[in-house]
Order: sequence, then C-alpha cells, then structure tokens
Amino acid sequence: MTAYAKPLPQPDLDTQPYWEACKGHELRAQRCNNCGEFRWPPQAFCPECYAWEFTWTKLSRTGMVYSFVVVHYAAVASFQPDLPYVIAHIAIDGTNERVRLVSNVIDCPWQEVRVGMPVRVVFDDVTAEVTLAKFRPL
Amino acid sequence: MPEQAIKDKTAIVGIGWTPFTRQSGVRTLTLAAQASLMAINDAGLQVQDIDGVVSYFHKRPETQEVRDLARALGLKKCNFQFYSDGGGGWNCGAVLAGAMLVHSGVCKNVLVFKAQNRYSEGRAARAERAHDVSGADQFTVPFGAHHAAASFGPHATAHMARYGTTSLDFAHLAVTERSHAMLNKKAMMRKPMTIAEHQSSRWIIYPFRLFDCCQETDGAVALVITSAERARDGKHAPVYVMAGIGGSGQTAGLWETNGVNAAPLLYEGAGITPRDVSIAEIYDPFTFMCMVHIEDFGLVKKGEIGPWVSAGHNRLDGVVPVNTHGGLLSEGHIAGLNHFIEAVQQLRPEGVVDDLCEGPHTYDRATCRQVRSPEVALVCGEGGGSAMLLRKA
Repeated sequence: MTAYAKPLPQPDLDTQPYWEACKGHELRAQRCNNCGEFRWPPQAFCPECYAWEFTWTKLSRTGMVYSFVVVHYAAVASFQPDLPYVIAHIAIDGTNERVRLVSNVIDCPWQEVRVGMPVRVVFDDVTAEVTLAKFRPL
Repeated sequence: MPEQAIKDKTAIVGIGWTPFTRQSGVRTLTLAAQASLMAINDAGLQVQDIDGVVSYFHKRPETQEVRDLARALGLKKCNFQFYSDGGGGWNCGAVLAGAMLVHSGVCKNVLVFKAQNRYSEGRAARAERAHDVSGADQFTVPFGAHHAAASFGPHATAHMARYGTTSLDFAHLAVTERSHAMLNKKAMMRKPMTIAEHQSSRWIIYPFRLFDCCQETDGAVALVITSAERARDGKHAPVYVMAGIGGSGQTAGLWETNGVNAAPLLYEGAGITPRDVSIAEIYDPFTFMCMVHIEDFGLVKKGEIGPWVSAGHNRLDGVVPVNTHGGLLSEGHIAGLNHFIEAVQQLRPEGVVDDLCEGPHTYDRATCRQVRSPEVALVCGEGGGSAMLLRKA
C-alpha cells in the first residue's frame, strides 16, 4: 500500500475528541450542558451562554448539503487524480444547523449535487490513525 | 447611532504605488519603500514627518512587516506601529486605524501600506498547504480545500440557490471591470473580455470560472493620513474620511456577508445613506464576492444584484460606478488597498492621472475613466470585514 499523500489533520486539545470519534466511525460534537446548543468548530466554552460544561454528543449520521463547490483545479498535486471533486458544507441533522462540516460528497456526479440534497456519512479510514467523515447521497 | 466623532477630522493627502507585475524582482521591503516614498512626496511631506505606520496580513505575515519598513525608512520617532491579522477584510480597517491615530493625537501623519510578492512567491505558499494542517484548516484542507475559491465559492452557490443568481451575471461584472481596467495604465489585465469568453473560460472551482478569479500580484501601494487642519496645506486637495468600521460579526447564512452588520453603522456614522454614494471600490477577489458586497452595503436590494450588474448599473456612467480601476479582478490584487488609490484619485479635483486621457478629462469611455463629479466613495474589504466612506474636499 502506498503512503497516503494528502494533508492530514493535526488535532489539538479542543478537536482531539472529534477525530477520535471519527476513528470509531461516529460523528460527535460538543453540546452545551447549560443551554443545550451544539457548537462548531470545537472550543472550550459555549459561544451562546459562555458555560464551560459540555458533552461530546453523538450526532445523526445524516445531513443536508448547505452549500458546495466543485474543484476542477488542484492547487495541491495529491488531489489531482480526484478532479473534479465536490467540497460541501454539510449541516448535520438534529443540530439546528449549528454543526456544519466541510467535507466531500462522493459517489455522485458533480452535476447532480444540489443545495438541500440529503446525504449520509461514510467513514474513510485514510490511514491507521486518521478517519475522514465523507458523505454520499441518501 | 450618532455620527462618528472622527467624521471629516482626518484626510488622505498622499498616495503612492509601484508597478503591478507577476515578477517584481525585488524584496517586498523595496516595494513597500517605493510606494511609501511616493505617497509621502505626494503629500508634500518629508519622511521624518511620518510618526505612525500601519499594515495588515492574511493568516501569516507573508507580506512586508511594519517594523522593518519603519527601520528601513530611518524613522527617528514612530509613535505607533500596527500590523493587523485581518487579511483582505482589513483594507479599510488599516486606513481607519490611521485616521483614529491622527484624530486621537497619538500621531500626526500616518503611513498605511501593503506590499507583497504574492504572485512570484505564491507557489511556495501553496506548496505549504500540501502538508498536515492544524487550526481551522484541519477541518477543510484534508478534504481538498486549498484555494480561496473553495472558501468563497460556497457563498456564491448559496446565493445562486436562494436568489437565482447565475454565472452569466458573474460574466457581466467581470466584463465591466475589465472595460474599466482597459482605461487604467497600471492595470495588469487590459485585453478586452467578452461575455462569451467569460462563459467559455474553464472552471477553476465551480461556480467560479477562470475569469471569475482575480490574479495574484507583486506590488505595493501606500497612503498618508493627516488631520483635516494640516491637510489644507497639502500639495493636493484632501480626501476626507467620513466614517469607517473594521471588525466582523455573525450573519444569517452564506448568502450574506458582514456587510449587513457594517453598513448601517457606517452610513449612520457618516450621516448619509447608500443613495449618497457616487462611486464604490469594492473588494472583488471573485466576481460574486463583489456582487454580494454591493448588496450588503445597500447599493441594491438583497438578491437583485444579478439583474443590476447585467444592466450595467456598475459602469462608469451607471447608477453607482463600481471598481472604476478594474478591481482586484483586472487591475491587480494588493489586498484592496489599491481600491483606496483609485477612490482618492477619483475624488481629487484633477481626477485620475493614469487613464488614457491626455489633458483634461473628456469622459469619452474610449480613453477616460474619470467618473463625472463624484462626491462620496464607498470602499469595502473582504466579507465586509471593514468599510469606509470618503468624500471630496
């Protein structure tokens, strides 16, 4: 197996649990224990009520394409073989559109991707340590 | 909101620029000094009259740092230096900082500049994005989002879905800006562009085609701000700072920018309305971003920008001429500080000095890009992250 050539995420103290969850094929995000709002990206306190207590809560495996682009020009060589590919903002169901992940929509011709399209997560174990959450049409 | 306390208290009195190229062949420090010395001379000042220096950068200080320029200019006394991380959103923020420094009495004459070898050094910067990523990039770059078009494209797609804006609308904006650049000797792109050429240009990142994207540029621009009182003795008529804003808040969705937050404060701060704006120099790294900024600063009703640009209301003799120099799209990308060079030129009594007119302005659009008697200019930065209103003396 050839080495994975694409850039990998470098988790930090706030984001580590998200990437750990992906590795276990789950989507998780922080939910405030005080006001109940989800938040994204991860941070130590709630941007709504400033409470510090939260729970890494399991999310739905489905969402909706909130917006998207289609990459036809690779600024980085390792993505060249994938052209054209879709990058979408995915609003995860049940999070009040608070959790909007940037990811790829795969297994779908780019011409068919639409704003509002329902999608389901697919976990791509790109290395032994890193799993990327991608999405395909429902 | 009352009018801002700084209204009409400060003025831009000097402007300077280098050639805009793809290969400057010199250090950014040299570019910065070249533009700065031109601006200081244009203001009728000596280098040692400058006692404040401001600039800004995107993400990492790949551009010229402030302290190095202050040192290179040999400033004996510099009361304030500031290098903001606001990126292209902060062109007006930098000028506002200069105005506030002067109005507060901390400085007498502030130099604001932006210098970069962004084209010739851009390849190296992009290569860095091939490596593992931290911070906010950890959630985007692993999925292949390396290019600014991938960051701003979703705004365009969302606007298209919500309001029916099209790539053909983008084409009209690109062609109009190019027609302005054709009348600008310092513009990098002066070949005519047609709607058909735009529409057949290749996709870079959908919904952006090649001609929806600005270029990267090597070059620098600079300007000098002083008090309204001192400005009366300048070489040129002053261009007054009416009001400014420089910060970013939340929006309801990707189809709008921080311009919706900034605009009311800006217009109230200046005591005018969008109807008083004669020209607008609007941040335009991509066609759509210019369009959404025009909407969010109230020059056209939200959602109606497509028909507005398609009708040519942004042309030199239109309702509100926009990016009269050709913008980032066709003049060049000096992080939007070049928009100030154009606004100041348009608002000076003698008008622009680098169009194709020989002698007085003719308003013949084969040679002349001077707008007829503009009174007030709106300038804005990326995402409405900062904005300013200027007026003629």
